[in-house]
Amino acid sequence: MKASYKLYFFLIPALMYQLIFGIYPLIYNFILSLKDVNLITYMGGTSQWIGLSNYVQTLKDTVFQRAFFNTLVFTGLSLSFQFIIGFLLALLFNRSFPLKGLLQSLIMVPWVLPIIVSGSFFRWFFSDRGMVNGFLLSWGLIDKPIPWITSQALPIFSVTMANIWLGIPFSFVLLYTGLRAIPLELFESAEIDGANWWQKVLFIAVPLLKPVIITTLTLGCILTVKVFDLVWIITKGGPGEVSHLLSTLSYSLAFDKFQFGKASSVLVIMLLLTIGLTIFLNSIRAKEESSIG
Amino acid sequence: MKWSLRMILIMAMVLVAVVTSVGFTQEKVTLTVQDYYGSVNDNGRFIDEMAVEFEKNHPNVKVNHIDIPFAQYLPTLLQQTLTKTLPDIIMADNPSVPQLIKAGTYKDLTDKVKEWGLENWEDFFKGHQEVTSSEGKIYAFQFTTNSCALFYRKGLLDKAGIANPPETWQELKEDSKKIKEVLGINAFGFDASATEGGTWQFEPFLWSNGGSLLELDQPEAIEALQFLTDMVKEGYVSRDVVNVSSQGDPTQWFINGEIPFMVNGNWEFGWQLTEDVMQQLGDVHVAPLPVPEKGKRIIVPFGGECFGISSNIDPAKYDLAWEFLKLLVSSDNMLKLNTEGDSGLPTRASVAKEILGTKPILKVFLEQAQYALPRPLMGGMDKYPDVSSFVWVAIQKALTGVATPEKAFKEAARNIQGLFSPEDYEKYKQLARTLLQEVSER
Repeated sequence: MKASYKLYFFLIPALMYQLIFGIYPLIYNFILSLKDVNLITYMGGTSQWIGLSNYVQTLKDTVFQRAFFNTLVFTGLSLSFQFIIGFLLALLFNRSFPLKGLLQSLIMVPWVLPIIVSGSFFRWFFSDRGMVNGFLLSWGLIDKPIPWITSQALPIFSVTMANIWLGIPFSFVLLYTGLRAIPLELFESAEIDGANWWQKVLFIAVPLLKPVIITTLTLGCILTVKVFDLVWIITKGGPGEVSHLLSTLSYSLAFDKFQFGKASSVLVIMLLLTIGLTIFLNSIRAKEESSIG
Repeated sequence: MKWSLRMILIMAMVLVAVVTSVGFTQEKVTLTVQDYYGSVNDNGRFIDEMAVEFEKNHPNVKVNHIDIPFAQYLPTLLQQTLTKTLPDIIMADNPSVPQLIKAGTYKDLTDKVKEWGLENWEDFFKGHQEVTSSEGKIYAFQFTTNSCALFYRKGLLDKAGIANPPETWQELKEDSKKIKEVLGINAFGFDASATEGGTWQFEPFLWSNGGSLLELDQPEAIEALQFLTDMVKEGYVSRDVVNVSSQGDPTQWFINGEIPFMVNGNWEFGWQLTEDVMQQLGDVHVAPLPVPEKGKRIIVPFGGECFGISSNIDPAKYDLAWEFLKLLVSSDNMLKLNTEGDSGLPTRASVAKEILGTKPILKVFLEQAQYALPRPLMGGMDKYPDVSSFVWVAIQKALTGVATPEKAFKEAARNIQGLFSPEDYEKYKQLARTLLQEVSER
């Protein structure tokens, strides 16, 4: 009894940290989402309780609907491509070839660069007078610049491409580490049994990597849903609010329009979305683990 | 032994208490001044100079000059208000001032101003007075002002066979066509970003055509947006204008010779178009922005920042803060700032008159300053930032073809009307109409 009491004592710093920087802001944000809060009522402390009205307005708002859809597209495409490319790279680096060490560190570049640098780069890369259009025009593949980030439909896909590039090292590192843990003998004996490359990947690597794969996807999902800076730097959610994610929409509502109540309601919905996705991915993991056990 | 040890301890504690209390009474009073100028800007340097002068005359005062980046400025103010850590002297961009007054950020300075002499207040241009006061009470002073005009590269125009800068929208379109055909470059650039910068650079086109921020669904407003949309569609303006990170981006294109025309403001002379850059380029000139048709007057919004005192200031520091504020906006110092620096225009009539003869490059800006309009009064006072955010979204939609100018502005007009009660909407709509009428006839 006394020993466990002492153990709780050691938990206090972590608990305090969670309470102050995790739980308190969450609750405060939830309270804001139920009130009519703008710059004037916020500073004056005169905001009124308005129940779920912020949520009703938000859900009806076409900009929000677009941002919600964008977030799903952004997360879905980012996760799948980051995973596939990361996995292929991990398979490639699992064998030895010249300059492997150098190339392996080059793959980490997107992770090392500050987002403000890569974001500004992509803004220029995708602009009408930018690098992509410059190449395509000079090769004669197009005769008018493609509006990568200056049209209605394309911007969300352009920022997704940028985010895929940014997230490859994350998938790569996790999957590569997992792959290294698989004994080489397994692959060798499969080879002796006449398995080709695809069969080795599908029937040895993938099943043994399943826990790693699910962790990569779960973490990746959480990290992707909350991406803010990259999109904010490249398009600011524009042009004309067509490329907002839930995160950028919430920021823009709060700090461009000072509609803090509505901004908070967007954040709560975003939180629910993340929780939902995580539960879904965790349930897959639980099923896996019970079937293994 | 034990007793004497206790005695020594007590004496030591007393000593510490005495020393620290003496220390406290002699400690300097700190005045904090907060803005987004940074120390490379003329205005920022001027405030540093004033701080040194003030410290010399008040040896017990330390002036702490804080610089916050522009994009973070309002969020920081907000956070400071909530945590009661506002600086003593607060700068804000003029369109935000009515909102901050309403939110209670600024202290009512009316009595102090009366003590100083109302003639000082009345020396400020009317528009500046209107932005910094509310219901007869004075809360701040507009410290500097600026506006937008047409910057052009004479050398590039010569190459394209254009003798004079365009005066009307039609001429701008024709010149752009020539430039595109002869030089093969975009002709014109401006800021259409999803920020106040986008709205602010559109307002000269809107107002000179008789349009209003509160009646965007009217033909005058739609025509103005249609004009800029056509310029983009024809390829005279790059669609990249919607993604510029600030009004400084088009200046880069301009300096690089990628566009011969741009909308920009006089602050550029203290920022990117400094004396040495101007000399190197050698062909940079300024003309008024083109108007819809000959004979119409160019009506621009005025920019610039205001200084006031925090409503939460320690009463013991109020007098000192007021003295410092007075130093910043006295006519002598304003003359000094505007004679030595190149990034702003004076806000006091007496100073403007003296500057006019001495700076030829500022002529266009000083002349249009007398017709420049305060943005908040033209767009719903403390709701102006909200109004503006609907305007820049609509501009972006039209320029990128997401919606037609008509559709974009009709939607914006509906949203803007929704910000106000019917009575307020009517009141502000009339106010904007009256102001516009006044300046176009004067």
